[in-house]
Order: sequence, then structure tokens, then C-alpha cells
Amino acid sequence: MASCSRLPLHPFLSATSARLVCNRNVQVEASTAKSLYPPILPSRTAKSKSAKRRVVTEFFEQLRARPVQEKIRALTRVQRKKYVIYPQTFALNADKWYQHYTKTAYLSGLPEKYTEIHSAPLIDESVLSELRSVVCSFILQEHWYLKKGRSFIQREQEHFVTPFLRNMVCALKNLPAKENPVLCLSSLDFDPQVNYYWLRGERTIPAGHRSGRIEPMRFQIDDKPHSQIRIPQQLPEFVPLEAEISAEVPVISVAPDRLPLFRRQYDNNIFIGAKLEDPCCYGHTQFHMVPDRFRRDKMSKRGLSDQVEVSLRANGIASLFAWTGAQAMYQGFWSEEDVSRPFVSQAVITDGQFFSFFCYQLNTLALSPRADGNNARKNLCWGTESMRLYERVTDGDIVGWNDAVLRLMLQFLLNKPQ
Amino acid sequence: MSKRILYPLFQLGNPQLRIFRPTFNLTLVRPGREQPADTVQFRIPMEMTKFDVRNYLEKIYSVPVAAVRTRIQFGSNKKRNHLNQRVKRPDYKVAYVQLAQQQTFQFPDIFPEKDKKSEEGSVEEMQEKFMEDERQRQKPDPRRGGVTEWFGL
Repeated sequence: MASCSRLPLHPFLSATSARLVCNRNVQVEASTAKSLYPPILPSRTAKSKSAKRRVVTEFFEQLRARPVQEKIRALTRVQRKKYVIYPQTFALNADKWYQHYTKTAYLSGLPEKYTEIHSAPLIDESVLSELRSVVCSFILQEHWYLKKGRSFIQREQEHFVTPFLRNMVCALKNLPAKENPVLCLSSLDFDPQVNYYWLRGERTIPAGHRSGRIEPMRFQIDDKPHSQIRIPQQLPEFVPLEAEISAEVPVISVAPDRLPLFRRQYDNNIFIGAKLEDPCCYGHTQFHMVPDRFRRDKMSKRGLSDQVEVSLRANGIASLFAWTGAQAMYQGFWSEEDVSRPFVSQAVITDGQFFSFFCYQLNTLALSPRADGNNARKNLCWGTESMRLYERVTDGDIVGWNDAVLRLMLQFLLNKPQ
Repeated sequence: MSKRILYPLFQLGNPQLRIFRPTFNLTLVRPGREQPADTVQFRIPMEMTKFDVRNYLEKIYSVPVAAVRTRIQFGSNKKRNHLNQRVKRPDYKVAYVQLAQQQTFQFPDIFPEKDKKSEEGSVEEMQEKFMEDERQRQKPDPRRGGVTEWFGL
């Protein structure tokens, strides 16, 4: 039994007693002192939100130290249903939606590097004239010199534009190699596969045994450009990483099914067109060909002539995001480890006559709902309206030649790493 | 048009100008899931194709149509009647029409909530007051804190 006894009060009376001297500033000491016990962590195995959060955090922590191959493998391993984004899409007004999914601000016009005269890469006139004569002969080769039969229906672009573009890309890579030595070291792929897989936004599962739970939406882009040039060093950034850009990223609150996008389940792929060990792991320029379905005349026949530029823009944004994002993943960045330097690539989209030019700067990979909380960075895409290279071919002669397009294309190819 | 249509035979003396309207009828419905601003949802007859929908809207109502998508909604077959036989709810076709030229459509609010005030001294007003009083009387005593009457004295 506890006995009721009085403590002696005498020691408290004197202010200089040992007890008071020791106990001064207790709070400050308590905050600076190392706690005796380890912090209380949520359980790893319990069926609770905090337990799940801890497991995920620990998994991400140990993933940070792993090599790139294992990172990509771990991030793409689990297959679930995902929205498949087609860069060349039949959906109307897709560019706004794609900007939201890739967190891209679109700026019309090219970056200052190409628009300002003193900063634009200088073009040797002899190279330009040589290129002009070569490209003219390539066009005439397909439309005049060669006797080509009728192509299959919906296959005209493959018949006429693919070989022309193939020749032109080879010429564009080889002719300015004197001015831009990095093109000698570059590698040129035809029909490469470019894939990117990422998480963006959340949705509530509507039905099934997991209904009512919140899950991130998954997206996949499977792109197949006509050709692409990869280089061993990185292209310089167009604007600094933390630059203030006034252009906003549009916000789409409607579910992606309404674009419409469809959900499929298959391998999650992240691929730049070459394996991880390839030294040419940075992108330079992609060349895309507009397929027959989305050709200008076919679109206007369907009464969608206002959608021509929109679909080109959507194509530029989606395929450049996929390619640049995959390059950044190959350097070991992912949504939890955001990019430390911006990644840059360029694209040219053509249907044989009309050329449009796009530049992309990847500022952030943190798009997943977990990482996107207070991330002010956004990706940037510059693009031009499509420009006509020539009007028509008559009697072995090209009418209405536009030199500005060729000049711009040459400037794109002369962009070199610092 | 897939429905077999027999036009009435022209007899001498009939009016010279005859107009034949399609036998379709579309129902404009409020979308169950939220749609983008330029999308309109219809219920259409099963025989109608997306090309029919486009022609119908463009030719009769001169609505600019950019794209039409259709699907067939399965009506539930789960319900049973009093003889335990399955009762099928009929299937129907849904068309999603995307408008061109940046046009938007918002489904109208057909039954807006009206803030109606009845006149002073009218029968409705008295009835409303009476109902309000009665509702107040029916409310449980807030001082009891949700404990039922049964526990009272």
C-alpha cells in the first residue's frame, strides 16, 4: 500500500540548490537533445493507409539507389489498364487534352534561338544551295523521274512521301556535318519505336471489388516516327529551367474516356528507340510523316479543315514528350527524382508538301499525383503553323519553292551541343 | 435508311410537291457522365447509323457536326416478374455528336427551382404556414439530445 508521506520541502527553498541549477532551460535542452528512442513509424504489415504509405515510401527510397535498368523495370513492371495516347489521333481538339496529360505549355512560334537573327545558327549559303538542289531532285525523283503506278488506297503517303523523306533526312544529316560535327557521331534510325509510360491525375474506381478507391491514371504513348537522329551529347536548353513562362497548361476536368481515349492492358514500355547501353542516348530531331487518313485534302473533305493544325500540334506535343521523357528516364530521372537539367528535342512533321516544326523542353517528370503536389515547373513546347515547301510539280519543274522552310530545317540540324 | 419505306403512290390530282421526312426520331438526353462542352448526347433508333445522324442534324436542323460516335446500350435482363420470368429492358443506341466550329451545347435546366412566394392572405400562404407549424411540432425536442420519447416520464 502506498503510504501517504510528505516530501521534505526544505531543498526547494533555496534558489541555489542543485536541483534548480540543473533544471534550468529544460525546454531548449529537450528540443536539441537527441531523442533516446527511435521515431515511431507506422507498421509495415498492417492494413492501414499509413502502413501502405510507408511501404511505398520505403520502396521508392531503395529504388533511388538502384541502376537505371532496374528503375525502369520496377516502374513499368505492374500491368494495369492504361489509357493509350496515339500521337496521330482522330480525336478532335486533342492538343488541349494532351497538354494537360503531359503538363505542357504550348507557345506558338519558335524559341528565340531560331527567331532572333544574331543568335540563330549561321547557315552557309553554299550548303543551303546544295541542299536545295538535292531536295529538288528528291521531289522530282518521286513525282517525275520515276514512273510510279497507282498506289493502294490509303497508301499514297507510303508510296510517295516515305522515300522522299528518307532521302531528305539522309541528306540533311550528311550535308551540314561539316558545320555541325556532332552529326558525324550521331545515329539515324528509320521506323524506330518510341514508348513512354507515366502516371497523371487520379480517378475513383467506378465499379468492381475495388470500387470507390482512388487510383492514379496511367498513360502510355507508343509512337513510330518516320526517322530520328540521336546524338551522344545533350542539346542546350532553350530557356533556363526555372524561367517564368506566362503560357498556362490547360486543365481538363472531364475523364479521358470522353476525348475519347481507350484503356488497354499490355506491357508498359519506356524506350527511346535504342537500348540503354547505346552511347547516342540524347535526342536531336525526329521526322514524322502525316498518314493518309489525316492528310490535308482528306481532312477538308470531311469538313475538318480547322482540325489540321490542331492535330499536328497534338502530334508534336505527344511524340516529343514521349521521346524526351524516355531520354530523361534513361538518365535515371523519374517522377520522384525530378530532372536536374532540362532535356531538349526537336521534331519536323510533314505530309510531303507542308512542314511544321516543333521544339520541346522537358522541365519536369514529376507528373504523378504523388509528386505533382506543389511542383511549379512545366514542360514547354514551341511550334509553328505548317509551311508549304513547294506548290506543285509540273513538267519536271517545281513551282512555288519556299526557301524559308529549307532554311529552318537546316537551322534545326545545325543546333549543336555546347 | 434501313427501314423499308413505302412511299404513297402518286395519283393524278395529288399535290405536285410532296415532302418526305425521315421516319427517325432522335431524343436529346442529359448526359449521365460529364461530357466536354462540344459534345451532345442523343438516343437514336437502332437502325440509324452515324452517317444518318450526321445527315439528319446537318440537313434538317443545319447543325454543324464534326464527328459522331455511337454505341449500343445493353438493357438489363436481370429483373424478374411475378412468375419469375426474366423481364428485358429494351436496348437502345446512344450517339455522341461533336459539334464543329467551336460551338458548345449545355443541356437546359428543364425544371428550374423556383423561389415562389404566395400572396399575402391567400389560401396557399395559410396552408404553407400551417404545414411549417406542423413540421416544427413534429420535430423532436432538441433538449433531449436524440434520446427517444420512450425513455421519458
